[in-house]
Amino acid sequence: MSNGLDFEFLIDTFFIALSGVPVAMIITVISLLIALPLGFLLALTRINKMPILSQFSRVYVSFVRGTPVIVQIFIIYNSVPLLLATIFEKYNIQMNVYDVNPIWYALIVFSLNTTATLIEVFRSAINTVSKGQLEAAYSVGLTTVQAFIRIIIPQTLVVGLPNICNATVNLIKATSLGYAMSLPEITLKAQVAANASYNYIEAYMDIFIIYLIICSLVEYGFKRMEKRLRKYKIAPAA
Amino acid sequence: MEKYFDATYIWESIPTLIPYLKVTFIVAGLSVLFGSLLGLILAVMKLGKNKISQNIAHGYTTVLRCTPSIVLLFLIYYGVPAIAINFGINLNDMSAAFFVVITFTLQFGALMSEVIRSAYESIDKGQYEAAVSVGLSNTQAYWRIIFPQAFVVALPNFGNSLLELMKEGALAYTIGLIDVMGKANLIIAGNYNSHALEIYIGLSIIYWILSILIEQFFLKLEKIFSKGKKNLKTV
Repeated sequence: MSNGLDFEFLIDTFFIALSGVPVAMIITVISLLIALPLGFLLALTRINKMPILSQFSRVYVSFVRGTPVIVQIFIIYNSVPLLLATIFEKYNIQMNVYDVNPIWYALIVFSLNTTATLIEVFRSAINTVSKGQLEAAYSVGLTTVQAFIRIIIPQTLVVGLPNICNATVNLIKATSLGYAMSLPEITLKAQVAANASYNYIEAYMDIFIIYLIICSLVEYGFKRMEKRLRKYKIAPAA
Repeated sequence: MEKYFDATYIWESIPTLIPYLKVTFIVAGLSVLFGSLLGLILAVMKLGKNKISQNIAHGYTTVLRCTPSIVLLFLIYYGVPAIAINFGINLNDMSAAFFVVITFTLQFGALMSEVIRSAYESIDKGQYEAAVSVGLSNTQAYWRIIFPQAFVVALPNFGNSLLELMKEGALAYTIGLIDVMGKANLIIAGNYNSHALEIYIGLSIIYWILSILIEQFFLKLEKIFSKGKKNLKTV
């Protein structure tokens, strides 16, 4: 192994890896867009103890949080094509299952995974909003939907924001596992570039720096948002 | 072609996988041991008065929190031998477990430093003052009053970090460690990549049960240790 780093390769690969950022970001954003409302609704089912849905979301959260993401990825990656193949066969759709873009699998895995995290986040956040808030909203004549949109959700978001930030950072980090589904995101692109010349150290340093930048930006963004949302926060009763 | 999905593979895979939990446990155990020590050092640095060491410790935690485990794992796997060779040490033949333990020690240390710091800060300063006022020495006050209380506060977070570590540990297969995950991949390769789904389902059942057990264990521990805790009820 040569001593010292290959700086030229380091810089070239940095831009190759950077070209994987959009894919990682698309997955992160879409997964969040799916998981936020879903997580909120399922959290409500648990708080209101709805018969079947509440048990379902409990088992679901327990499973997702109890197994490694990489195993979840492999399960989805191996099961969805089987399901699709049977469906295609049944309805005579002429389409090869293996032509499906891996981004779809990634979206399924990461939305399901983030939903589970967010159920727990919202559950604890909704619990901090006192019942009196909803009753007060009803008493001034708001409907349930209005009460939730105007009163409950803003307060829940303020409390839950730091945890949502954590979930987002974890999600971004987890997209690095997309390489297992041959998803052309940051990690895979740099790995492929390194395969040719065995410059693995440089490649992983590039990936490391990119994730560091992205996550710092995301954390900074959430801090800003937290500051802006703070006006909804109720001061503790004096 | 034969059946796509055969549930018997799930039940057959579990007994073959379970012996390999030993590797998972050893690697996780060592990482927890060293990681907790590292976390303690970092927490002391964060709580200390020295601005420079504070910044170093905070910077370390931020950087580690932003790094995906897989990236850190490979960085250590390729980076440490390359650095060591400059000092004339050849680490290329080291077992994968060595690098896995380093990686997860670094990561667990970052997690633990936050757990320890927040637990320590949650203890009211009055506790220390009260201890000193009844004549305990500085060391006694810490050992008998502060640490036992901080320990109870830290327990649930420690349990969570442990679960996190165990799950992230599944990635160790990427550098060739044969733990449960590694063995599952070997079985699949031995089957010429067929019935991968069943084996992974078996694997996920093992992990699931294990997480539930660890979670319950920590809940029990918390109950036992929080006996002496009174402040929640009285306030």
